[in-house]
Amino acid sequence: MKKVLAQAWKEFSLFRRDKLLILLAVLMPIVLMLLAGITGTLRLRNVSLLVYDYDNTPLSRTYIETYGAALTFRIQPRRPQESPERALASWRGRAALIIPQNFERDFRRGAEPIVQLMIDATDSNAATALGNYAQSLNTSFALKNGISQPQAKGVNLQQRFWYNPGLSDRVYFGTGGLGLMLIIFPALLGALTTAKEFETGTIIQAYASSLRAVQWIFGKALLYVLIGLVEFVLCFALGLLVFEFRFPTDPSVLLVATVFYVMAGVFFGMICGNATGNQSAAIQAVQMGSFLLSLLLSGYIFAVRNIPIQIRWISSFLPATHYIQIVRNSILRDAGWGTSLRPMVMLLVLAFAFFTLNVIQMRKMQFKG
Amino acid sequence: MPAAIRRYLALLRKEAQQLRRNRVLLIQLMLPPTIVLVLFGYALNPRVRDLRLGVVDESFTTESRDFVDSLSENVNFNVIRRYGSVEAAEDALKSLKLDLFIVIPSDFAITLGRGQTADVQVVIDAVDANTAKIAQGYLEMALEEYNNGVAGAPLVGAKHRLNLVRASHPAPPPGVPDVQSAYLYNPGLVTSWYYVTGLMSIIMFINASLVASALAVKEKEIGTIEQLLMTPAQTGEMLMAKTTPVFVVMMVVMFLSLVVGMLVFGLPVRGELWLFGLAGALGALAGIGIGVMVATVSKSQQQAQLLTFFVNPPLTLLSGVTSPIENMPGFFQKLSYLDPLRFMVTIIRGVTLKDAPWTALWPNLLALVVFAIVLFAISAWQFRKQ
Repeated sequence: MKKVLAQAWKEFSLFRRDKLLILLAVLMPIVLMLLAGITGTLRLRNVSLLVYDYDNTPLSRTYIETYGAALTFRIQPRRPQESPERALASWRGRAALIIPQNFERDFRRGAEPIVQLMIDATDSNAATALGNYAQSLNTSFALKNGISQPQAKGVNLQQRFWYNPGLSDRVYFGTGGLGLMLIIFPALLGALTTAKEFETGTIIQAYASSLRAVQWIFGKALLYVLIGLVEFVLCFALGLLVFEFRFPTDPSVLLVATVFYVMAGVFFGMICGNATGNQSAAIQAVQMGSFLLSLLLSGYIFAVRNIPIQIRWISSFLPATHYIQIVRNSILRDAGWGTSLRPMVMLLVLAFAFFTLNVIQMRKMQFKG
Repeated sequence: MPAAIRRYLALLRKEAQQLRRNRVLLIQLMLPPTIVLVLFGYALNPRVRDLRLGVVDESFTTESRDFVDSLSENVNFNVIRRYGSVEAAEDALKSLKLDLFIVIPSDFAITLGRGQTADVQVVIDAVDANTAKIAQGYLEMALEEYNNGVAGAPLVGAKHRLNLVRASHPAPPPGVPDVQSAYLYNPGLVTSWYYVTGLMSIIMFINASLVASALAVKEKEIGTIEQLLMTPAQTGEMLMAKTTPVFVVMMVVMFLSLVVGMLVFGLPVRGELWLFGLAGALGALAGIGIGVMVATVSKSQQQAQLLTFFVNPPLTLLSGVTSPIENMPGFFQKLSYLDPLRFMVTIIRGVTLKDAPWTALWPNLLALVVFAIVLFAISAWQFRKQ
């Protein structure tokens, strides 16, 4: 134990001297979480819509207003002689609404006039959503103008949105962002510190000393786990301020999970550092292994269930998948140990597995003494 | 041959040899585009399907079973279980076994029999607001279909119009204008095209900056920078020689990822290929510029890498690769104009998917050129100060 503390103290004195590192380790997570939470939204709003009204009657204008009144679309002035295809290709709008001649006349007669909506489908999901949305605007226009009666309803839906009644994206990305920050930075610091030992050659001293592999690893990890916990407190405070976080009734789940999670992160970073033995390569490994994978496969943006089965298994090996679930359980669903038990066990298993890998990596080199 | 070029070539040979010997770095540079693109092109599929639906049927009649059947016919719902009580369903929702559940009241069949509207309660787990909204949409569609079948007159003859665009909306009531949506540029609505083009640019940009900063700071760390500064070579030549190999490798990576995108995902290249190359080159230059700039202000590799780590994620988030820029708050929209990645992605998507006209592309190209020049000039100036 004493040796572990001594090793940790050594790490701390090295870390303390690096002002930039301290600043980055503390400041970066906050700035990044803020950015990620605010820019990340899947909701469509202010989609610029170009209107080509070849009818130009009161009714066609009312029709256009139906689109203009919706928050999703924002009607954009268009250049007089430009074709819709060209305007869309030049990013002057995301969609173009083309109302044909005789729109009003046909409508009054009950002959369904055809309105065309051209959508830029480079972002295919947004395009699908826009298409569906236009359909419902269309129907509501017809209802409002008394052309068709609302259908007799057999069954009516009473909807309740639980845990997030305002359907706020911020809550979702804020909780995910917390998980993301806590995997990137501890892992990064862990990778840097071990890779540095290899680069400067001081690792030989560790090999030759009476320190055992386990002690060395714990000593090194201790400081970064603590830093990770500080980052957690900061990010959580930010969450309370900006992302509508609430204190869970049973915070113990979240706290225990955070400790495991940060440990898993640091150990993973150290694996990268040990394996590459080179700071730049280690950072790349962390960037790939923890940042990119966690960003895309942990359920931060898209639910894990939607990932194709062939690669979904990767998600279960990411600590972030389990941690984000626990964070959302605790902060948003306010659920206790029962719900979070499975991800918690997975977190523990992963942290332990990463630790064991570290030990194996170190053992190989240790001098027998 | 002028002396400047000779010196440049000599330095270039040295850098190229160093890079060639650095196997790890080369692998890092070549591997990501192939693996990452394939992995994420497949993984990033936000289409919501197989929502787990729980049912609490307090009515327990033929009518209520018909209603549940009509929901389970819908491909988007999987009826997981029927629950005896609302509490049991609530527990299941809380422990993430369900995404939503419906409660059919005990007077369901009677109300329907009287010709009145029966209420059915739906509870949706809305932590993921996006999925919740989509689930709600699916439910409403399924309900409309059910209502048409029960309440409306039986359909006689070929009344079903073919909806060519998407079969998911129910047919509108007669007399309503018919909106025909045309999906330009990606009529098959292939999700991966959007993400692959975005990822391509990100990988390119981030790797360029990381490698450049690593190479530039390395000399400083080992101390060989003094030797270099003593040579007759000018800072500009030195910087050019340092960055040329990185640049060449990055261009190879760029086209490699394009080939992967084309082969695996059928990504089209509708515009001019040279524009794609130009955007890639300018993006790489901007990335290298950022990398060198970071390297000049930091003392160790560790610091340099951390700084690039600090700079790159915000650039990625603001570029519009993952979420559209017009959804961001106004201030961040303005901020995104300071992001070279934004222009690079725009051009790359414009060239591959859209065949965007030149008049729309050149402002973006110009912005990239300005970024590349400014970043490079600053980094050269910083480099000289050493």
